[in-house]
Amino acid sequence: MKDQGVGARAQRIGGVGRVTGGQRYVADIPLADMLHAKLVTLDCAHARILSIDTSAAIALPGVHFVMTPDDLPKPMPRFGPEYQDRPVMADGETKYHGEAVAAVVADTKDIAEEAALLVKVEYEVLPAIHTLEEALAPGAELVQDPAIRRPGPHIASNILSEYRFGWGDVDAAAADADIVVENTYDWPSQTQFAIEPHGFIAAPDGDGIAVWSSIQHPYQLQKTVAKVLGIPMAKVRVFAPDPGGGFGGKQHTKLEPLVAFMAVRAGQPVRLILTLEEAFQAVRSTGARMRVRTGIKADGTLVFQDFVNEFLVGCYGDTGDRVSAKGSFLSAGPYRTPAVRIVSRAVLSHTTPTHPMRGFGIPQVTWARESNLDEAAIAAGVDRLEIRLKNLVKYGEEHVPGDTPADGDWAQTVRKAAEEIGWGTPVPPGRGRGIAIGLKSGPTTGLSYSTVRFLADCSAIVFSGTSDMGQGARTIYAQIVAEELGIPLDSVSVVMGDTAVVPYDQQTSASRSSVLMGNAVLNACRDIQRKLKARMADMEGIEEAAISVDRGVMRLPGGEEALPAVLKKVLGRMGGEIVGNGEARKDALPEHPLGGTALFFEFNCTAIEAEVDEETGETDILRHVTVGDVGLALNPIQVTGQDEGAAVMGVGLSLMEHLIWGDDGRTRNLGAIDYRIPTSLDLPRELHSFSVENGDGPGPYGVKGISEGSLLCTAPAVAAAVRDATGAVIRDLPLSPERVWRALQERP
Amino acid sequence: MTDTFHLEFTVNGRLRVLDIAASHTLLDVLRDDIGLTGTKECCVVGECGACTVIVDGRSVNSCLMLAAEADGADVLTVEGLAPSGQLDALQQAFLDTGAAQCGFCIPGQLMSARALLQRTPHPTPEQINEALAGTLCRCAGYEQSRQAVLAAAEEVGS
Amino acid sequence: MQAFRYLRPSTVEEALALLEEHGDKARLLAGGTDLVIELRNRWRTPEVVIDLKGIEELRPSIRVEGGRLVISAATVMADLERDPVVAERFPALAEAAAVVGSVQIRNRATLVGNICNGSPAADTTPPLLVYGAEMVIASPKGRRRLSIDEFVLGPGKVALGPGEMVVAIELPMDRTIAAAYTRLTRRHGTDLASITLCCGVDASGTTRVAYGSVGPRAWLVVDDTGVLADPAASREAKAPVLAALFAKATPSKTSMRAGPEYRAAMLPVLGARALNTAIERLGRTA
Repeated sequence: MKDQGVGARAQRIGGVGRVTGGQRYVADIPLADMLHAKLVTLDCAHARILSIDTSAAIALPGVHFVMTPDDLPKPMPRFGPEYQDRPVMADGETKYHGEAVAAVVADTKDIAEEAALLVKVEYEVLPAIHTLEEALAPGAELVQDPAIRRPGPHIASNILSEYRFGWGDVDAAAADADIVVENTYDWPSQTQFAIEPHGFIAAPDGDGIAVWSSIQHPYQLQKTVAKVLGIPMAKVRVFAPDPGGGFGGKQHTKLEPLVAFMAVRAGQPVRLILTLEEAFQAVRSTGARMRVRTGIKADGTLVFQDFVNEFLVGCYGDTGDRVSAKGSFLSAGPYRTPAVRIVSRAVLSHTTPTHPMRGFGIPQVTWARESNLDEAAIAAGVDRLEIRLKNLVKYGEEHVPGDTPADGDWAQTVRKAAEEIGWGTPVPPGRGRGIAIGLKSGPTTGLSYSTVRFLADCSAIVFSGTSDMGQGARTIYAQIVAEELGIPLDSVSVVMGDTAVVPYDQQTSASRSSVLMGNAVLNACRDIQRKLKARMADMEGIEEAAISVDRGVMRLPGGEEALPAVLKKVLGRMGGEIVGNGEARKDALPEHPLGGTALFFEFNCTAIEAEVDEETGETDILRHVTVGDVGLALNPIQVTGQDEGAAVMGVGLSLMEHLIWGDDGRTRNLGAIDYRIPTSLDLPRELHSFSVENGDGPGPYGVKGISEGSLLCTAPAVAAAVRDATGAVIRDLPLSPERVWRALQERP
Repeated sequence: MTDTFHLEFTVNGRLRVLDIAASHTLLDVLRDDIGLTGTKECCVVGECGACTVIVDGRSVNSCLMLAAEADGADVLTVEGLAPSGQLDALQQAFLDTGAAQCGFCIPGQLMSARALLQRTPHPTPEQINEALAGTLCRCAGYEQSRQAVLAAAEEVGS
Repeated sequence: MQAFRYLRPSTVEEALALLEEHGDKARLLAGGTDLVIELRNRWRTPEVVIDLKGIEELRPSIRVEGGRLVISAATVMADLERDPVVAERFPALAEAAAVVGSVQIRNRATLVGNICNGSPAADTTPPLLVYGAEMVIASPKGRRRLSIDEFVLGPGKVALGPGEMVVAIELPMDRTIAAAYTRLTRRHGTDLASITLCCGVDASGTTRVAYGSVGPRAWLVVDDTGVLADPAASREAKAPVLAALFAKATPSKTSMRAGPEYRAAMLPVLGARALNTAIERLGRTA
C-alpha cells in the first residue's frame, strides 16, 4: 500500500500537534499585553434598550472601558455575507436572545466577567417572533426595518426572500398521476456545536489591524473588517488558526468587527473567547417546514413533485437566502421528474442568526422528499428501493433541466447500499429497514489560488487559504505536491491561515477544497513543472515539446529523470527555488437561478436497519450503511473519517438534536446539558462506510467533495426503518423516544 | 489576600509552586497560570470532557475541580504524554487510525483513554465506549478513536 | 466566579467550627461536580468554601461495621461502582452510581454530595430509599441518624440544620432486599434522567419502589400485598398494583427533557422492568 502521494493512507499533516496539545487554537494564542473582553447580553430575545449605565463597571479596578453603541460610528456599521444588515452590536434593540448590547474590556477574564454583571441595562421586553406561523401571520410585526432591507416585493413582510424553481406543468401532470401523496415535514433548528467555541482576538498592527479568528472564510473576514473599519484590505491581516470544528457555524464574520473596534480603542490586543452558551447564541442552523406533494404512476414512475419549503432564519439575512435557495433548488433530488414546482422562502424571526450547517439546507428538503417518496411507494405497493432505482437519472442525464447532469453512476452507489443492508432479505422480527438518497450541489462558484515553492533541497512549501478545520485539507494538498513533484510527503510543508502571506481563497465550504483548492495546488505544481521543462529545454538545447512531465517524473529524449534531480540541475550552484502559482475557478453564470451550475454533486445513499423499543420509543440503529460517490479517495483514512463523522452527526440530528425556544423567544437549551449530541454510547451498533470510486470528479485525479454526503439523508433512512419496524409514521424531528412513543400510540 | 491560595502540585512530573485565586479551577490554572494550553475549554459543566486531565491516576474534568483541590496532587495533562518528544502508543494509534480530525477534543479523549488503559490494560470495545462517553467529538464518529484505543492496548499489553 | 476563601480542615470538628463561624456564608465542598457549576454561574456566592476531602474520617471508604455498610462522605461514584460488597449486596446502588455523568464525573462526584445537593433527579436517591439508608449527621451537639426518606425534602432542600454536615451514609445489612435500578434518558450516553427508578423485593413478599425526577423529590412506596413480588403472578394482575404506586408522580409540565404524559406512561414500564430484574435477583440469592 502506498504511504504517500495520491490515494495513500497518509498520516494527517498537523496530526502530531493534535495529539500532543501543541496545536494552537485561537484561545491558546498568547499575546503580550492582551486584554480580555466580555459581552453584556440580556436574558430575553427581543427588547428595546432604554439606557446603558456603565459607571459601576468602569469603576471596577482593572476595567479599561465598556464599549456601547455610543462608542461606535454613526450610523451603526452593518455587515453580512448577503445583506449588510448585522450591526456590530445591538443598535437600540436586541433582536435575539444573546445579542451583545455592550462589551467590557479589562485586564483579566475575571474582572471582565465581574464588570459585565455591573453594566446596568434598562430595557423593555418586546414580543418575539420565533415560529413560521407568527412570522407569516397577517399583520405580523416586521423583524427587520424595511429601511435597511434590499428593495423587493417582500420588503413589507417577514419574508427575507422567495424563489420559484421548477419545470413542466405540475397541475397538468397531476391529472396523469395514479397516486398523489401530500404531507408536511418539519426539521427543527439545530446548532453546529463545534467543540471549540468561537474565539476572536484583534490587535493593532502597524497602521492596520490584525485579527485572529477560528473562521472558515478568512478572506471574507478580511474584506468585512476593512469595510467596517474603513481601512484598505491590505491593512487588515487575518490569522485563521485551524478551527476546532466548523460544520458551517464558523463561515462568516460575527463579533470580529466589535473586537477590532475595541482593540483600536484600547491600542492593544483584545481577546473575546465565547463560552459554549454564547457560541449557541452566535449562530445556529436553519429549521424548515416543507409541504410536499408527490405524484406517481401505479408502477412507481414519478409524475411530478411539488414543494413549498419555508426556512426559519434568524433576525438578520446572514446566509438565510442562500441556504433556502440552494437547499430548495435540488428539492426533487436525483430523479427523473417530468414536472416539478418548488417555492422556497426564507422567513425572518427574532432568533439566533443562521449559518448553514453541514449539508446547506439539503438535509431539510431531503427529509421531506425521501420520506414522501416512501409514502408514495407504500401507497402504490412498490418496493422502496425499486422506486428509487426506477426514477434515478443515469450518468450524464439531467435531473434539473439546464443544470449539471448526473456526474456519476449513482445506481451503483444505491445498489451497494442496498446490498450491504441486505435489502430484499428477510428482516428479523421487530426490526425494520430504511433507505434514502441524498444529493447536494457542490460549489456553484469558486476561486482558489495557491503558491507552491520548490526549494533547493527538494522540499516544498504549499500556500493555501483553505481552513483546515478537521477535514484534513493540509494532508491532501501535501499528498498532491508529493505526487506531482516526486518528493516524500514529509518534506512538504503547508502554510495556511494568514491573509498577509497566503493568496486568496474564496471560502472553505460546500466540500469544495479537495476539488477547487486541490486543483489550484495541482496547477501550481504544473506551473513548476512547466518552468522546469523550459529551463531543461534551455540547458539541454532541446525543444520543450520533446519533454513531458508526469507525476514527479520528467521524460526527456534521453530517458527519464526524477523531478528532484531535475530541480538540482536547473538551480545549479546558484541555488534559489522554483515558484509555481496555480488558480482554480468556477465562474458564475448570472442567468442561472443559483448564480452557477454545480461543480460536482455529492451523492450518498444511506441504509439503516433499526429496532424500536415499543414500550419506551427508543430507537436502536443496529446497522448503518453509508455509501458515497467520492470520485477518488485521495486519502482513504480521511474519507472514512469524514464519512463516519457526518453519519454520526446525521444520527444526532435525526434522533436527538433540536433547539428549544420558549414562548418569549429565549433559547431554553443553551449549552451541553440540554442540547444533546451523540456520545460514544449513542452510535449505531455497526457503522459501515463505503466509497464508490470511478475517478469521475472535476478535482485532481477525478476527486469529488465528500464531507457532507453521509448526513444528507440519514433522517429519512432512520425514520423509514422506524416505520418499517413499527408502522409508526413520523414527520417531525428529532425522532426522540418520546416522539416515537407518541407516534406508536397514534398508530392506526 | 485571603482569597488566594498557595498551590504546590506536580504537573507532568514537574513541581509547580504558585499563588492562585482560590476561585480558579484546575483548568484555569493549567491554561492561564502555567500556560499548558493543550487542555481545552468548551462546556465548563463537565459534559464535553475537552478539559479532561488525570489527577492521581483518575481522569477528571479539570473545569469542575478547583485548583486548590489539586494541592499536593500529581497531575498529568496531554503535554505529559510524550515528555521526551517520542509519542506514546496511544498518541501514535490516534494518528494511525485518523481519529484526530479538528483535534480539539483529542487531548480529552487521550487522557480518558490513558486512564482507562492504566486501570484496564485490555479493554473491550464496550469499556472503551464507556470511557470515551465523557468526551464529546463532533468531527468523527468515535470509531477511529475506539480502534486507536484497541490498537494501543494491544501494543502496550504485548 | 465570585472570589471566596478556600479552607481545608483536617477533622470533622474543625469543619463544624468553620461552619459555625461562617454560617450561611460557607459552603461545603465534597466532589464539586455540582458546586463548581453553581459557583461559576453565581447561583451560590459563598465567602468560604470548606473542602471536606482533607478530613481523615471522611476519606473514601466503604466498610462493614456492626451489620451496616458505612460509606464515608468523600467516597465517589467510581468507588461504589467497583466495590465488591456493594456489587453483591446493593447492586442497584452500584447501577445508579455507574450512570451518574461520565467516568470523569464519577471520579469526583460523591454519594453524599449527590444526596445533599437535593436534586429530584439524583440517580442514587431511589436505591438508597429502597435499601433504607440512613444519613449520619454531625453537629457540634454530636451525631444523629436520619433515614434518607426523612432527609430528602424537595428541590435543593434536605433536612440539614445550620451547622450540620453529613459524614456518612449507612445501609443496613441485616435484611436482604434484591433490587434493580433503571432510568429514562434522552440518549444512552451521560444524561440527566427524566425518570429514576429503583425496585426492591424481599423474601417476605414486600416490594419497595422509589422513583424520582417526576416530582419535587424521589418518593418511596411499598406494596405489602405480595402480588408484585410474586414471580408467578401475571403481568395483568401486577399492572394495576404497580400503576397505583406511581400516584405521587407529578411530572413537570414545562420540562424540556420529557413531557408529563410520556413520563407518566414510562413509570409503569420502567417499574415492571426493574421489578422483573429484582425478582430474578431475589431468586438467585435464595
